Amino acid sequence: MRRGWLALGVVLLAAPLAFQDPFYERMIALVLLWAVLASAWNIVGGYAGQVAIGHAVFFGVGAYLPLLVYTHWQGVPLLGIPVGIAISVGIAVLIGVPTFRLHGHYLSMATIAVAELIRLLVTNWEFVGAARGLGGPASGRTIWDLSYRSSIPYYYIFLALFALVLGFTSWMEQSRMGYYLRAIKAGQRAARSLGVSAPRYKLYAMIASAAFTSLAGSLYAVMLGFVDPDSVFGIMVSVQMVIMAALGGAGTLIGPLVGAALLIPLQTFANSLFGGQGNGLTFILYGGIIILLSRFEPGGILEIWNHYLARKARKGRTE
Amino acid sequence: MIALQVVVGGLLLGAVYALFSSGLTLIWGMMNVVNFAHGDFVMLGMYIAYLAVVALHAGPLVFTLLAALTLSILGAVVYYLLIRQVMRGPMLAQILSTFGLALLIRYTVFWFFSATFVTLPGSALGGSIKLGGILIGIPQLVAGILAMGLTIGMHLLLTRTTLGSQILAVSEDRQAAMLMGIRPDRMQALAWGLASASAGVAGALIATFYYLTPTVGESLVLIAFVVVCFGGFGSVPGAMLAGLIIGLIQAASAYYIGPVYKDVVVFALFVAILWVRPQGLLGTV
Amino acid sequence: MNSTILLKAHKVSKAFQGFLAVAGADLEISPGEIVGIIGPNGAGKSTFFNCLSGELVPTRGSVIFQDMDVTRATPEEHARLGMGRTYQVPATFEDMTILDNVMVGAFLRHAHQANAREEAMRVLEFTGLVAQADHRAKSLGTPGRKRLEIARALATGPRLLLLDEALSGLTPLEIQQAIALVREIHRTGVTLVIVEHIMEVVLTLAQRVIVFNHGEIIATGRPEEIANDPKVIGAYLGTGRRSRRSAAMSSLDGHSA
Repeated sequence: MRRGWLALGVVLLAAPLAFQDPFYERMIALVLLWAVLASAWNIVGGYAGQVAIGHAVFFGVGAYLPLLVYTHWQGVPLLGIPVGIAISVGIAVLIGVPTFRLHGHYLSMATIAVAELIRLLVTNWEFVGAARGLGGPASGRTIWDLSYRSSIPYYYIFLALFALVLGFTSWMEQSRMGYYLRAIKAGQRAARSLGVSAPRYKLYAMIASAAFTSLAGSLYAVMLGFVDPDSVFGIMVSVQMVIMAALGGAGTLIGPLVGAALLIPLQTFANSLFGGQGNGLTFILYGGIIILLSRFEPGGILEIWNHYLARKARKGRTE
Repeated sequence: MIALQVVVGGLLLGAVYALFSSGLTLIWGMMNVVNFAHGDFVMLGMYIAYLAVVALHAGPLVFTLLAALTLSILGAVVYYLLIRQVMRGPMLAQILSTFGLALLIRYTVFWFFSATFVTLPGSALGGSIKLGGILIGIPQLVAGILAMGLTIGMHLLLTRTTLGSQILAVSEDRQAAMLMGIRPDRMQALAWGLASASAGVAGALIATFYYLTPTVGESLVLIAFVVVCFGGFGSVPGAMLAGLIIGLIQAASAYYIGPVYKDVVVFALFVAILWVRPQGLLGTV
Repeated sequence: MNSTILLKAHKVSKAFQGFLAVAGADLEISPGEIVGIIGPNGAGKSTFFNCLSGELVPTRGSVIFQDMDVTRATPEEHARLGMGRTYQVPATFEDMTILDNVMVGAFLRHAHQANAREEAMRVLEFTGLVAQADHRAKSLGTPGRKRLEIARALATGPRLLLLDEALSGLTPLEIQQAIALVREIHRTGVTLVIVEHIMEVVLTLAQRVIVFNHGEIIATGRPEEIANDPKVIGAYLGTGRRSRRSAAMSSLDGHSA
């Protein structure tokens, strides 16, 4: 197990060296960004089993704040990060407090509704750029603007962020919170009879998930230097986070990375092949994948892998 | 006078909301499953109407029946192939299954029609009439009245007929219903067919006065959720009442604040309902 | 205020949409007792239990635990105050290991993983499950699951343990083992309230028995008195009119269990 993590770490650290082409460098940076996002969703969706389908709202808030700081006050974009996290956590509480007392469907609906609500508001609010969006510094004024031409520094920034989310999730898994979330997912009624305050722990998971998503959104905006409502608040963002985590294996540590590593290259090539229509095609594909996953193997690829290993072990024993 | 016009317009639209929301609440109350693709079923009803007019020069009665029939079959098929199995599984699978279905349907239609809006060509239902000093579009009037009638009809079907009471029996107590010889599986499939048909009809009705776009399902399903929550989950009368109220609120928001805000107000209202009275007007949570 | 009553239910009633499942039940449990609750199927025992444990809020009446009004308290608050319970149909965390199941209980009083694990192992030893600590809960049969539920609830350090038909569906040998375990638990100072619908088990274990029928308490007393009470015997034999109500109640119990 330890050796596996070490190997993964080496691969991730060395990956940029394998590519010389800016196209691929950009792609692997995005793989890591989405691995972070999917891992963030995984905290509330995979571990706690609460199906939130509107995380774009946290991503978008995180993305807008740094560029707002720059646009209106010429400030260092990074200063927007804590504000973005605070607002995202506030929204998480606004949604979570009423819905975690109720059946799971309410959360799913509320997250979609709030994400749409914010997207509509932002699209019509001049202060945040309305439909045109906001831009960032054209080139770095100081080192703190984190303005780089190449994707490679961003790759390492996202790698650090991924390590952070992974570290948090790993710690959580072994702590009381992790056990309680698993218990809630396995049987909320019995869990409550053991003293587990289900609404409270689900809310904790949601807050952690929102904070990490917001942070990733901020760094994404810094990398891109531009945000607009549809690209960061759109349903595509929410769906991608969910499908990457679910495809790889919701509730596992590296499931999200597996999902991101599969789907980002897929999506990138679909876009290059089909151009604008590629987006619609991607959605059709995602819809189909989600249906197949939920119908046949909700545990995702890692679960399929586990079944395969178990079958091999059984065959090995009978021979 | 303007205010009255807004009120009437809102109520008529609200009646259509009530029609497709009652299908959603029936399923939810019966099987604790929320169909995230419900709005896209409505959208399919709209496009079936469009295709029927364009390809078959069909009249309103024909394309409405066609929409109802097609969607009821689709609903039953979705139940047998997908819902029945995922119902037994984890919550993640249940919710994702219909959500994935929504994406699949929505973007397949998008693939064919792309983002350009279409409208139903040269309707027999064009024009407007003046009733009591206010101007009402004829398609809206017909749609609203028909929708109200059909929703009431659905309620009567459920409460006054044998078949309907069998469906409700499964909804209230599955074990007891089984003891009485009712087959829950078949009743659930029927309920899905009925709910999907109501979505299809609502779509066909909307198509007579609104423009068509493949992604409309996303906001329609949210409106349906708000109506169902507001009306009380599982309650068709609740959905009726709530639908009318939501339609009214939307029309008022569009007129007094701005057209963009008609959805914003409804979604914000949704969050408020969750905080204050999640069981809705007529429900028990 | 320091009373010697651990748990007190006062005129507890529970109605479901007009149907009265429990009608004005009174109960007092003193520390150190083993009290049995019996009654035919559909008599309202499980519904009453759920009112005591916080999963249902009584329509009328109150529940006082350790001098605190818990009538409207949540199940988790009940657990924190020292009330534990098991379920008629075992609700173990199937995909988690047996050790992890019990650790969830242990985390209530031990915030750190190492301490919780230690406590969980101690409880597993006590309940005889330690050999299977690393197996998945779903690998257990029904008696194992019932035992695991008891272990899990014990790990929360309860003063009062509510056992909901913990011995039903067991073979005679398993019943003997379960009775021995219950006695061991009692010896550690835990007060027990046991719901059963098999008279023999309750007569062996309980010091005091309460009999439910039609949602009401029809008799209380020592096991020998109850066994010979004509009202109690009549309740178990029953008439035609009773069986329709008990069919409805059974399905309600199924819902609330």
